[in-house]
Amino acid sequence: MFFLQTTLGVSSVLILGTLGMFFMAITLVSIVVFHQRRVIRFNKQIQKMEEERQQMLLRASIQFQEEERQRIAADLHDDAGPLLATARLYLNENLIHQEPALQLQSIFSAKQIIDDSIQLIRNISHSLMPPTLKNFGLEAAIKDLFDKINGSGVINSSARFHDNRQRLNDEQELLVFRILQELVTNIIKHSSAGFIHLTQNAQGNLVYFRIHHDGKGILQQDFEKMEQGSSGLGLKNIQSRIRVLRGKIYFEIDNTHTYYKVTIEVPREPIK
Amino acid sequence: MSYYLQSIQSEYFLFLLYSFTVIEYSFFCYYLYLILPKRGIRKSIPFIWLGFIVFAFIDSTFINKDVGFDSFTSGIESIIIILFCIYYLYTQLKGSNNLLIYSTFNFWVVITFLIYFCGTFFLYLMTASMQHQISFQKQYFIINISFNILKNILLCIAMTMKLNDTVSQQKNAIPKLDDELFFNKKI
Repeated sequence: MFFLQTTLGVSSVLILGTLGMFFMAITLVSIVVFHQRRVIRFNKQIQKMEEERQQMLLRASIQFQEEERQRIAADLHDDAGPLLATARLYLNENLIHQEPALQLQSIFSAKQIIDDSIQLIRNISHSLMPPTLKNFGLEAAIKDLFDKINGSGVINSSARFHDNRQRLNDEQELLVFRILQELVTNIIKHSSAGFIHLTQNAQGNLVYFRIHHDGKGILQQDFEKMEQGSSGLGLKNIQSRIRVLRGKIYFEIDNTHTYYKVTIEVPREPIK
Repeated sequence: MSYYLQSIQSEYFLFLLYSFTVIEYSFFCYYLYLILPKRGIRKSIPFIWLGFIVFAFIDSTFINKDVGFDSFTSGIESIIIILFCIYYLYTQLKGSNNLLIYSTFNFWVVITFLIYFCGTFFLYLMTASMQHQISFQKQYFIINISFNILKNILLCIAMTMKLNDTVSQQKNAIPKLDDELFFNKKI
């Protein structure tokens, strides 16, 4: 200070010092204000993007529900309707005027058709809520699903649960089942895979499900792109279910570039 | 104000200056203690306050007995308050929400402190050694008055913010329903 005073003079030091400090304070305040404005703008942008994303997921979910309803309506109208109408034809008023042999045949045919209708309605009901899942849990339902796929002979499939002593709650099991069902359906439809293998494991509070397949798969960036785009309804549903589960999903390929892997991470919630 | 007090030949002048600095510092510390977030430096404010009081006492009694102005104490006070203000701004940046920082009362009060103490830092620091120079006295007067005016303008803006806050809170508040009229009504 003394050196500055002798070289610059008292008034210069005082004025320069005061102005320097004053401008430093003003600069500091300006930086804070501008930075905060920028942060707010950025936050608003993120919020807007998140809102749009949520809206898209909601729209996808509604669309999926509508499609599901249309499918059920079509099944009932196209399959159950004609079957019951045919059964009614066999059991019309003229049946009593027919010969006993013909009567028996008509009744038998009507019974056959009614059995088919019952089976059809049961199939529709099973597709809405798999009974194995409801009665025996996720492990049994997944194994049942994979057995059915295996039984078709088109694709080799297997499922193995390593640590399912502590089960997920019912709601979580249903959501996981739907996600796995959607993933398996996608693999069958689009990947031309020769096999699908599912592994379940648990670590701490997290439960992991991993699907391996040797077909054409997608990677994480493809999933994110498709999920944000207008197409990929199934993937959007997977994402919205994952969000409900507060879980994570990863689409990867193994190091040898032979198998694709889809891993789902689900945190356990207490059983209600 | 301290300069005017100095012009009045009083044997208690230095004591008055120190008292003014200590009281001013205490008020600022208390205000910053109220507005800073609960974690972090806030906990150390009482200790820093106590340290400063002890330092001011030592400076006034033993070190700065015959100088006539509390430059050193004022300088330390300015540095501490400036650092607290910077810390407050930092916490506002860190915990940034969607409310614009300059629409709050506390922000304007803090920048008032910051600008005032930054502006008068050199002035008070040099007063002890230069107080008898006429040219310095003129500059002291101009700088001190300028920053006092600026401080008052900024505090007025802060008060306007507080007033706006109160008005909007009153507007948003549920109107007081005059149920008492019905309850106390004697049929």
